[in-house]
Amino acid sequence: MSRDTNPNVTLGETAAMREGDLELERTLPDHLVAVRDRLVEAFGNVAEGDADGLEVLADRRELTVVTGPERLIELLAFCRDDPALQCELLSDLSGVHWLGGTHEASAQATTGWPTYTEQRTGRIEVNYLLTSISHGHRFRVRVNLDDEAPRLPTATGVYSVADFLEREVYDFFGVVFADHPNLQRILMPEDWEGHPHRKDYPLGGVEVEYKGATIPPPDERDY
Amino acid sequence: MSSDQHSDQPPESGAPWGEEESVTEPTSAVATHEGGDAPARRAEPEYTLVGGDWEELPDAVEDDLMVLNMGPQHPSTHGVLRMRLTLDGETVVDNEPIIGYLHTGIEKNVEFRPWVPGVTFVTRMDYLSPLFNELGYCLAVEKLLGVTDEVPERAQIIRVIMTELNRISSHMVWLATGGMELGSTTAMIFGFRERETVLDLFEQVTGLRMNHAYIRPGGVSQDVPEDFVERANTVVTEIPNRLQEFEDLLTENPIWIERLKGVGVLTAEQCLDLGVTGPPLRSAGIPYDVRVTDPYCGIETYDFDVITGEDGDAYARYLLRIEEARQSVRIIEQALERLQRTEGPVMLQDQKIAWPAQLALGPDGIGNAQEYISKIMGQSMESLIHHFKLVTEGFTVPAGQVYVPVESPRGELGYHVTSNGTNKPYRVKVRDPSFIHVGALPTATRGLLIADVIVAVASFDPVMGGVDR
Repeated sequence: MSRDTNPNVTLGETAAMREGDLELERTLPDHLVAVRDRLVEAFGNVAEGDADGLEVLADRRELTVVTGPERLIELLAFCRDDPALQCELLSDLSGVHWLGGTHEASAQATTGWPTYTEQRTGRIEVNYLLTSISHGHRFRVRVNLDDEAPRLPTATGVYSVADFLEREVYDFFGVVFADHPNLQRILMPEDWEGHPHRKDYPLGGVEVEYKGATIPPPDERDY
Repeated sequence: MSSDQHSDQPPESGAPWGEEESVTEPTSAVATHEGGDAPARRAEPEYTLVGGDWEELPDAVEDDLMVLNMGPQHPSTHGVLRMRLTLDGETVVDNEPIIGYLHTGIEKNVEFRPWVPGVTFVTRMDYLSPLFNELGYCLAVEKLLGVTDEVPERAQIIRVIMTELNRISSHMVWLATGGMELGSTTAMIFGFRERETVLDLFEQVTGLRMNHAYIRPGGVSQDVPEDFVERANTVVTEIPNRLQEFEDLLTENPIWIERLKGVGVLTAEQCLDLGVTGPPLRSAGIPYDVRVTDPYCGIETYDFDVITGEDGDAYARYLLRIEEARQSVRIIEQALERLQRTEGPVMLQDQKIAWPAQLALGPDGIGNAQEYISKIMGQSMESLIHHFKLVTEGFTVPAGQVYVPVESPRGELGYHVTSNGTNKPYRVKVRDPSFIHVGALPTATRGLLIADVIVAVASFDPVMGGVDR
């Protein structure tokens, strides 16, 4: 399946949060404000002009800090060791693939207005979800990578649990974690080709026929 | 015909079969090898057969490590888990868990269906705690939609009752399978018997014993039957007696203690570094429970204790699970009382999101309610259109990313859900505690005997459906 015809990635009708909800959702609870301030104090903020600082995002009352691959391990170790953050647990490590190519930015089929498209580069975001049991907070550290030959340093030196989790991200997204002790496929067979959770990897399936009518496989349905 | 020609061949070739065999006797075969350029035959090793102690054998044998594959088709590895054990004698030097035998691509499949059918997929992951999977997924969808506070009170109470019942049934299966892996068939029979009482309740409410798809975004699929409170009360009053039976049978049992004490130990620091949560972490003394740190469905308003242990071994985990089942009973008793006092809907009132179909218990199980069908098919065209649009296309969810944890019987079960604003999930990543715990097995089993590896694995209670997803 070509990238453009994959119905799973076209941005069609986009739902909006209901009025009034949005502002509330963008505010952070107090304990996460403290976390944000501590991180910005130590690593800087892109919005305040620090070129290699953090980008701070707040959504649904959750905190996300975006960093570059160069400072990732330093940041994770800081989050673990700093007494104000003290993230003992790496709860989750996962990827999301955003396809490159032409995307519809806005379309109004009924009014006859032109369709605007925008060009994007493919990227894989890797999310590290850190939890502090002592302080009771949770936040996300995100790294954005180009989807051509993505590469990250391993976090196994900071959290041992990263061993299995990084293998899963490697298996599903093809992100290579440098210096990982045992970077092999974990859920797919060893000789599998491709990385199944990339969005240009098809789901597969066959048409199902019943009494003369057919239902296409899930990744070719147009709803 | 060609077949006839073939059957003619052997006699024509001359020599009968018996004679040819006599030519290829071992001695003459060696002679031909020496004549040609084939590699020379290895020298026959010489064996001197004498008895003796293992310690007195030559050093060459001492350094030999043996690699033993345990599983994936092994009755005591708790599912299709394969462990490549490196052994020194009978002691485990290293253990590499190999997984993926049950990988069914659920996370990928969910991306190609509307949001509500996702429930029917995730419920099949960790098949011993299906309701926790449903709950985690639905809470994540509700958080993305921004409707968490609008879910009706009655639905929240039913969710608490159902998930805590599920915790009891899951711990019972753990006792059953864990006991059977040690050869205690009584524990197995007892465990499955107790679980059956809970599954009967599930069947009465959801129509199914497993894979319920009962909890839906916005509430639950239907209200509980009229006699549910009564029946649930019977089950819940009986369970503490049955738990006492377990304790009488096992807690002071010398074989049980001998096999479980000091096996599979993980200290609190090791647990945190390895991401281990749930009973193994609490048995090491850390009172981390998602029901307390990130409460869901109003569970913080119920009165219950977070149980902790001290030793962090398999025995501490056994005691902890028994006690946790008692605490679940406490929660359910309070919730049943609240359920009787609370009237009202069990699904969100926002008709753009709420599942339109109404279900009812018929003579052949749970299906569409007859009244509802006659309304959409006979009276209201608008209702039919609404039903059709919502069931085929589903609703759209605003773009964003959330992480919602719930405290499953095995530990922190997290749903990391990304939406791009369409009617299908963009990515659903499940942080399954079993997956993380299998990753901790090498540390927990190093230095044990092979027989103790089985106990150590069982004490983490990994469910392979959740590990491989």
